[in-house]
Amino acid sequence: MVKQELANRPDNTAFTQQRLPAWQPMLSAGIIIPGFVLIGLAFIGIGVALFVTSRSIQVLEIDYTGVETSHPCFTCSDPDVKKCVCQLDFTIDSLFKGPVFFYYGLNNYFQNYRKYGASKDDDQLSGDLSNFKSPSDTCSPYEYDSNNNDKPIAPCGSIANSMFNDTFKLYQKVNGSKKLVPFDGKGIAWWTDYNVKYRNPDVSPLKNAFNGTVKPLFWPKPAYELDPSDPANNGFINQDFLVWMRRAALPDFRKLYRRITEGDYRLGLPAGDYNLEIAYNYPVLSFDGRKKVVFSNVSWMGGKNEFLGIAYLVIGSMCVFMSLVMLIVYAKFKFPEED
Amino acid sequence: MDKGSLESGLTWEVRANSRQYHNHKQKKSVLCFHWGRYADNVIRSNKYSPLTFLPLTLFEQFQRVANLYFLLMMVLQCVPAISAIPWYITIIPLLIVLSVRGAKDLANDMARRRSDAEINSRPCDVLISKSFSKGQWRDVRVGDVLRIHKDQIIPADLLILCSSEPHSLCYVETADIDGETNLKFRQALGATHNELTSHPSEEMLAAFDGVALCEEPNNRLYTFRGQLHWRGECFLLENEHILLRGTVLRNTEFAYGLAIYTGADTKIMRNCGKLRVKRTQMERVFNRVVMGIVLSVLLTALLLAIGAGVFSSWVMSHTGPLSPLVVNGNPVYTGFLIFWSYIILLSPAMPIALYISFEVIHTVHSLFIGWDREMYWQPADRPAQARNTSLNEELGQVGYLLSDKTGTLTQNRLLFRQCCIAGEIYGDATVQAEDIEPMDLSWNPFSCGGLFMSAPDLLEKLRGQQCPLSRQFFKALSLCHTVMAEWKEEAPVYQAASPDEEALVGAARELGWVFLSRTRDFIDVSELGVPRQYQLLALVDFTSKRRRMSVLVREPEGGLKLYCKGADIVILERLHKDCPYQERMERALELFAQACLRTLCVAVRSVPEALWEQWSKTLAQSAAMATAERDALLEKLYDQMEMELQLIGVTAIEDRLQEGVPETIALLQQAGLKVWVLTGDKKETAVNIGYSCKLLDPETRLLEWQELRQILQSPDPGVSFFKARQMELWAVDKQPAGAKTAVVLTGPELAEFDQRPEWGATFMSLAEQCQSVLCCRVTPGQKADIVTLVRKHTRSVTMSIGDGANDVNMIKTAHVGVGLAGVEGGQAVQNADYALSQFRFLQRLLLVHGHWSYRRISFFLLYFLFKTCGFALVHIWFGFFNGYSGQSLYEPWFIALYTVFYTAFPIMCVAFFEQDVNADSSLKWPELYKSGQRQELSSPLMLSLSLLYAIYTSLVLFFIPLGVFYDTAYDQQVMAVTVALAATLTATIEIVLMTRYWTKFNLAAVCVSVVLFFICSKITNSTILFQKSPIDYYFIGASDKAFIDPLIWLTALLTTWMAVLPSVTALALNVILTMHDKHKVHSVSRQPVELRSKFTRGASHRRSSYALSQGSGPGRLITSASRIPSTVPTVDEKVTEEGEHSVTGGVYISPIGDIRSHG
Repeated sequence: MVKQELANRPDNTAFTQQRLPAWQPMLSAGIIIPGFVLIGLAFIGIGVALFVTSRSIQVLEIDYTGVETSHPCFTCSDPDVKKCVCQLDFTIDSLFKGPVFFYYGLNNYFQNYRKYGASKDDDQLSGDLSNFKSPSDTCSPYEYDSNNNDKPIAPCGSIANSMFNDTFKLYQKVNGSKKLVPFDGKGIAWWTDYNVKYRNPDVSPLKNAFNGTVKPLFWPKPAYELDPSDPANNGFINQDFLVWMRRAALPDFRKLYRRITEGDYRLGLPAGDYNLEIAYNYPVLSFDGRKKVVFSNVSWMGGKNEFLGIAYLVIGSMCVFMSLVMLIVYAKFKFPEED
Repeated sequence: MDKGSLESGLTWEVRANSRQYHNHKQKKSVLCFHWGRYADNVIRSNKYSPLTFLPLTLFEQFQRVANLYFLLMMVLQCVPAISAIPWYITIIPLLIVLSVRGAKDLANDMARRRSDAEINSRPCDVLISKSFSKGQWRDVRVGDVLRIHKDQIIPADLLILCSSEPHSLCYVETADIDGETNLKFRQALGATHNELTSHPSEEMLAAFDGVALCEEPNNRLYTFRGQLHWRGECFLLENEHILLRGTVLRNTEFAYGLAIYTGADTKIMRNCGKLRVKRTQMERVFNRVVMGIVLSVLLTALLLAIGAGVFSSWVMSHTGPLSPLVVNGNPVYTGFLIFWSYIILLSPAMPIALYISFEVIHTVHSLFIGWDREMYWQPADRPAQARNTSLNEELGQVGYLLSDKTGTLTQNRLLFRQCCIAGEIYGDATVQAEDIEPMDLSWNPFSCGGLFMSAPDLLEKLRGQQCPLSRQFFKALSLCHTVMAEWKEEAPVYQAASPDEEALVGAARELGWVFLSRTRDFIDVSELGVPRQYQLLALVDFTSKRRRMSVLVREPEGGLKLYCKGADIVILERLHKDCPYQERMERALELFAQACLRTLCVAVRSVPEALWEQWSKTLAQSAAMATAERDALLEKLYDQMEMELQLIGVTAIEDRLQEGVPETIALLQQAGLKVWVLTGDKKETAVNIGYSCKLLDPETRLLEWQELRQILQSPDPGVSFFKARQMELWAVDKQPAGAKTAVVLTGPELAEFDQRPEWGATFMSLAEQCQSVLCCRVTPGQKADIVTLVRKHTRSVTMSIGDGANDVNMIKTAHVGVGLAGVEGGQAVQNADYALSQFRFLQRLLLVHGHWSYRRISFFLLYFLFKTCGFALVHIWFGFFNGYSGQSLYEPWFIALYTVFYTAFPIMCVAFFEQDVNADSSLKWPELYKSGQRQELSSPLMLSLSLLYAIYTSLVLFFIPLGVFYDTAYDQQVMAVTVALAATLTATIEIVLMTRYWTKFNLAAVCVSVVLFFICSKITNSTILFQKSPIDYYFIGASDKAFIDPLIWLTALLTTWMAVLPSVTALALNVILTMHDKHKVHSVSRQPVELRSKFTRGASHRRSSYALSQGSGPGRLITSASRIPSTVPTVDEKVTEEGEHSVTGGVYISPIGDIRSHG
């Protein structure tokens, strides 16, 4: 009966009475100052490791835009000159340890521009044949070729259209003759891109799938003929195409072109003179762009990256410095009479 | 006649018994159109009707900037050309917000409808076609004749036609309207009384065809002007002819009345104020912040759009229309589109989820209030209740507490606790009334309990016929009063004009001197079972100037006795020269005053027959004289009669305060709250309660209207005020000037503020330096005006607390209204934001729940601003590096899930569970409460700091990854994952730093949030989802790729640490710098404990008790006892002033005295 009368009596639980057991961290100078020192030292440690590693990575960067008249590629930089090939000579003083990664780099190129990035048809690129006939209007203005009976473009859109199409051959000059350095172009794209995201239509031969479509305006050859040497490396799963389709984050970027892992160059590029033969097709001067090639070897932290190491060092020292300041402040407050 | 009435302003015409005439002019309304004059008697406090609910609620909700903004965003996102993120990212939260809020409003409105329906269907008797039929309040129309039974609540403002009592008197209790508990009488016009009671009344009433002309409906409770035109004659109508809605008919079998004002036109409803939606200050500040964010977003978007235009024109000029960047059309158009894109992209900076979270947090806080067992009142089985669930943080910021008196501070129960007879003190006031062992009174057939005094020795003396003085004492108590007895179930039930008298007569009854009944000339008393009849020769009633009352009776044995009771200073100066025991009695008076009891002296005088003959001649003489002359003569006569008294005893009555009131008030004052008392009751009572609940100290100087007025009128009020205080200090004390002044005002004086609006600010600046302000005899409307005054001139949060219908208006007007669920009707609770059962629960509501709520909600707000802005503003910086193209740095799913899944749970846990100190410590250190009053955590400065910090964080979040990824082979999606990881970690670490109270829920929430980030990233980047919808899940594989790369982790770690470094540093410095302050707080905060112990010590300064319904000794410390002579005169002066005032107020008209003058 008593219970019935007290029907509205609140429950006496820790939750309803807001008496949940809780840990209330009591911070004190004794924890905070050593904490700061420890974190600072840890950051300095990481910074040193990064810095040292980064220093050990060899990088060779060569701009081949051909801005200066003296540059071997100057003649090629004129957009009116077609099928231009220029030769670049360079010397490696000591062994460039392998595996060597060979990148091409572009500067002032806004691959992260939103409308540029949106200008593609994901369904078409995943092999949907209906989108070969009528590409999504996201590809506009590279949807239909107006010069070619308004035929649909495959692959459509800006990104595909602007695919980087310079090609490189590297020779080592041995006793006056040129020895081709073999490039490895396999597996330079993401696994998911190659296996899931981009698919060729299930049509054999691949060429038939592209019936009734035209190649992108800027392309010299259609998608199914991108790599004449390897029939499997064509269409939308061509490695170079995949690398290009993965948009860069920032206007200055590199993209992996080839790896040097085979034959005599498995251990790296030996010291000596080299010759780089560039099929110069891609115009960048019109938008103040720059093109370059980069040779680099890699470590556990990837390519050379001095910024990160330095940033760690700076912030680590900052923490240590601050802990010193705190110590002084603390001492002043703790023993005010003695000052 | 009509012209005349128009001129005099009497334009409200009521024709008795003619529904036809009034129905015609019934007030009606459709949507917002109203016509007609007379309102029906239906109360409608609901806001919505089924038809208007949807538009109204949408209208209200879209007044919130954020909601409107998000509606706009959603529309924008449906346009493909500018859609930076898909539309469904926005609509889901918006819909949830709208529907939750709408449902809550609807539920509240339904509750109001239900309570209205309950009131509207109360029964009453309406005269319809010559007979009374049972009706409901809703059926009453203007012009109807109603029959009101005893103890019924009056349904409309009525003109009394006649009643069952002689002279058509009616007694009403107005506690619900003005807080006064004594009965008031109202009377019908002589004409209607004579005509309507002479015959069977129903027929006469049905034939009554008078026309009442009166003022238009207004909110003045104490005045009424009108005329009754009947049978060719015109009678003037005044306030005493009117029964107001909400009052209760007492002591009167039934009364007949003509409905003059009904429903919304009634005086009490006119006093009720409007229903208004209360919004917290923090919400207002926050709305301003949101406005600021919207403006900055617009501005930023504009700048970025200009950038986009310039960029696109640059691209156009260099590469022509078919560039790889697809810049088509002209740069201005591009800029225009980009503008909208950026508005969408930056919209996550607008914390829309904040509103819904706000609702949830408020609701949970309200639940906590209801769940608190410390605020549960077991005797009534009633927990505290938060009726308005959106004001919790205001509870932590209250600066002004405006309290009702009757029923709020006091229990409205008066107990006879002690007495002193012939120098002998009986009873013990130090024991709580409830703990007293009841005496065995079984020998007394009339005893019905209610005596909280234990004095067996007194009983022995009384029954043993040993002590004639003590017998005389109780005889005096049973004779000298104006109480009326009513017989119910073989026992007398006393109805008194003042509760003090009831207590005295009741005590006499318990001890054997039973007042049985009175007629005009005789008083029947049973003395220890022996019935005796006394002839009543004269009754000289109490006025607040005389402060005493006397009766002259002829004893059954034949002797004449004058019994007198009154305030001690009045009685003591009228005593017989060598009165025995006088010294001991005076000491008793002091003792009683220490215990905060109201004292009255009881005295007797034997009157020789010859003297009475002489007096009665003078009395007869005076009857024929003009009023002024007569009054002077009578005054002189009474003076002669009440001379040479013999003091027989002193009574001590306790005006029970609600439990824990003085402690609560002291605690709240320490917490920096200003406690004001607003009451409809008399000034004396209010001041005394002020003393007894420690709102005023004995040394507090009372600043009254005359003085205050001079100060307000003086050119430099601040200085005058200071001087006024200085004088007081000079005279009495050397204590710091601090808060030792209190202002006492009455309603009519307050009315002057209406004419002098410029006084408001000055008054408030003075009041801020005062200990308290007491406002007496104020109408409900004035109570609300005072609240408005405080709201207008200070930036503090105001809180009103009350229990009756007369407090409804102020409860509605204050920022926070608290209703005490007391004995009186639930009107106050119905309209309150919080309902409590006891005044003392206020300390827990404010200092614990309020304090916590304020901190929790402030933290929540600051953190929310930080986390949403911090992560959204990154897009501005990214814009500089992507040609201002409106490219999102994040995966759209991250934007959607960040606010909901990755960062919401930990902050919600903080908002639910955070405690800086536990409940007991909050009460122990009320100083902690001041941080809320100063808005330390929610000031614009703090909000700006939080925003600045968000900007800093967004810079770090973007530029450190930028440095790492610049000119590398990392693609945009990996960078997106890196920044997202860093943003999530930053938000998490930030909340970890903020949390001081780690419950298991907090820990779980933090862990779950981080784990959810990885799981959700994995899911949205998964192959399966990509295959389902390639366009929505195009980040396939990005997080897998990123999370296996040590460089990504190192980047995220660096970014996170850099982002939280300022707040970590601030925290560390705070810890180091405040170490000593903490020590100080702890040592200082011992004070309240000591203070509390002072209460038990009590006061020792004797203070004159006021007669009859007032009188209470203020508390004073033992040490100041020596100051009696110096302050007594000032007290005297004050009392006289007050007395004068009360006479003009005309409060103390005894019903009986009135009957006599009639007869």
